[in-house]
Amino acid sequence: MAAPMELSCWGGDWGLPSLHPESLTVMAYAKFSGAPLTVNAINNSWRAPKAGVPVLISEDIVISQPAKILNFLRKQKYNADYQLSAKQGADTLAYIALLEEKLLPALLHTFWVEAENYCSVTKPWFASRIPFPLSLYLPGKMSREALNRIMLTRGGPPLYSLTEVEAQIYRDGKECLNLLSKRLGTFQFFFGDKPTTLDAFVFGFLAPIYKVCFPRVQLQEHLKQLPNLCRLCDDILTCYFRLTVSGHSPAGQDTADANLQKLTQLVNKESNLIEKMDDNLRKSPQHPPRKLTTLKLAAGGEESSPLNRLSP
Amino acid sequence: ATLCFQAFLQMCNLPIRVVCRANAEYMSPSGKLPFIHVGNQVVSELGPIVQFVKAKGHSLSDGLDEVQKAEMKAYMELVNNMLLTAELYLQWCDDATVEEITHPRYGSPYPWPLNRILSYQKQWEVRRKMKAIGWAGKTLDQVLEDVDQCCQALSQRLGTQPYFFNKQPTELDALVFGHLFTILTTQLTTDELSEKVKNYSNLTAFCRRIEQQYFEGHDKDSSATVTARSAKRSLLR
Repeated sequence: MAAPMELSCWGGDWGLPSLHPESLTVMAYAKFSGAPLTVNAINNSWRAPKAGVPVLISEDIVISQPAKILNFLRKQKYNADYQLSAKQGADTLAYIALLEEKLLPALLHTFWVEAENYCSVTKPWFASRIPFPLSLYLPGKMSREALNRIMLTRGGPPLYSLTEVEAQIYRDGKECLNLLSKRLGTFQFFFGDKPTTLDAFVFGFLAPIYKVCFPRVQLQEHLKQLPNLCRLCDDILTCYFRLTVSGHSPAGQDTADANLQKLTQLVNKESNLIEKMDDNLRKSPQHPPRKLTTLKLAAGGEESSPLNRLSP
Repeated sequence: ATLCFQAFLQMCNLPIRVVCRANAEYMSPSGKLPFIHVGNQVVSELGPIVQFVKAKGHSLSDGLDEVQKAEMKAYMELVNNMLLTAELYLQWCDDATVEEITHPRYGSPYPWPLNRILSYQKQWEVRRKMKAIGWAGKTLDQVLEDVDQCCQALSQRLGTQPYFFNKQPTELDALVFGHLFTILTTQLTTDELSEKVKNYSNLTAFCRRIEQQYFEGHDKDSSATVTARSAKRSLLR
């Protein structure tokens, strides 16, 4: 039996369990793999960790980055990727790299650098969850770190000014969303009908863009034009986080209901398939049975002869 | 990185001449090496060069469908994210390598004290970048493990095929070849990095195959390969 595991991360709003992409990724993976995590949202108390969030604490072990946390969960036998082939595992790594290189700068910019968004939404939200007087300092620091990261990784010449870098990173972010949408196609999840690590990462990055209500929303508008990605986020929220699309968690519902829902969908699919098969059978030409029925009306002793004729 | 471009242009059957210059970084429009000079146009970095070549009518990835193109771009980012960053880390953040190899090489075209100043400046720049993306806290072993993971992913994707997208080489093959060949042939203080790549026999076979097919086949290009290797050694990114 694994030791009890606690995850400290930023809390949620706007229908999401967390606003922080990395925290969301870890929470989604834990749900997919069935890991029993107690989630502690960071609040105003001084005891909660602020740096290196999300943080997983299990007995005496403290682990802080999403990749390391996921590795730890896998070692504890909570693995959402056991059905994947080696090539699919390689694809997972590649797409995660794509997310970090192309989408993350745009995401950071939307949350932390875009002045209107930062002042009206991000800063007040985070400051309300950090104790005074740290709330005066920490959001500013996170914003500076985000800007630093964007400029150092994307801001080399010939892009010298922030506006040029912004244009480039949003172009890259939109291209990344297009590529993800093409890869997802009409599948329910990226590798079939069970969610995996890649779905957790994509969900972690996309859900905040999708749901948080910012004044400046060019990335969100682009995302809303890609219905399969929006559907992926909504599916994960309803099936795994028991939150309806409007964001309310129904009282008294347990995981059995979510499983029941999935089962009902499967049964419906099966019954549709069976109906189709029946239709096909009825429509196809059926001469031999007609012979049998006409012969049945005749003397009973002759029933065996058509069967003999039919048998090879 | 020079090799990625050469491989790419060879794969497109476009003839090139490689030239070394000490001030190449300043001649390049984006400050990054290498760059190509065609007629009166100068284009640098793999992305723009691929677009430029495509606009002129040569493209390696036309035969791919949308999903494959998405995969190709994802793998190219993986190589940039892991291999390129690991190479930078090893060159500029591993103290032993920095002292013995990087500083002398980077500063070699310049007289003292300019050579020391420029290489310290570059080192400071690279370390800042590493800190921003969270690699500053990594030890050499962790970096090597990341390289191993990346090579494993590339090896699994390549499988037993001749190229990443079966019969035809694409930009991804050129990029991977450039990085892996550099890792395998550049002398460093330790061989651990090249050992990681050598663990995957299909990757080393892949490099050898591309080298034979696109570099050793042409006489004039063999001298270009030699100058390219020395260019790699004296002009570090």
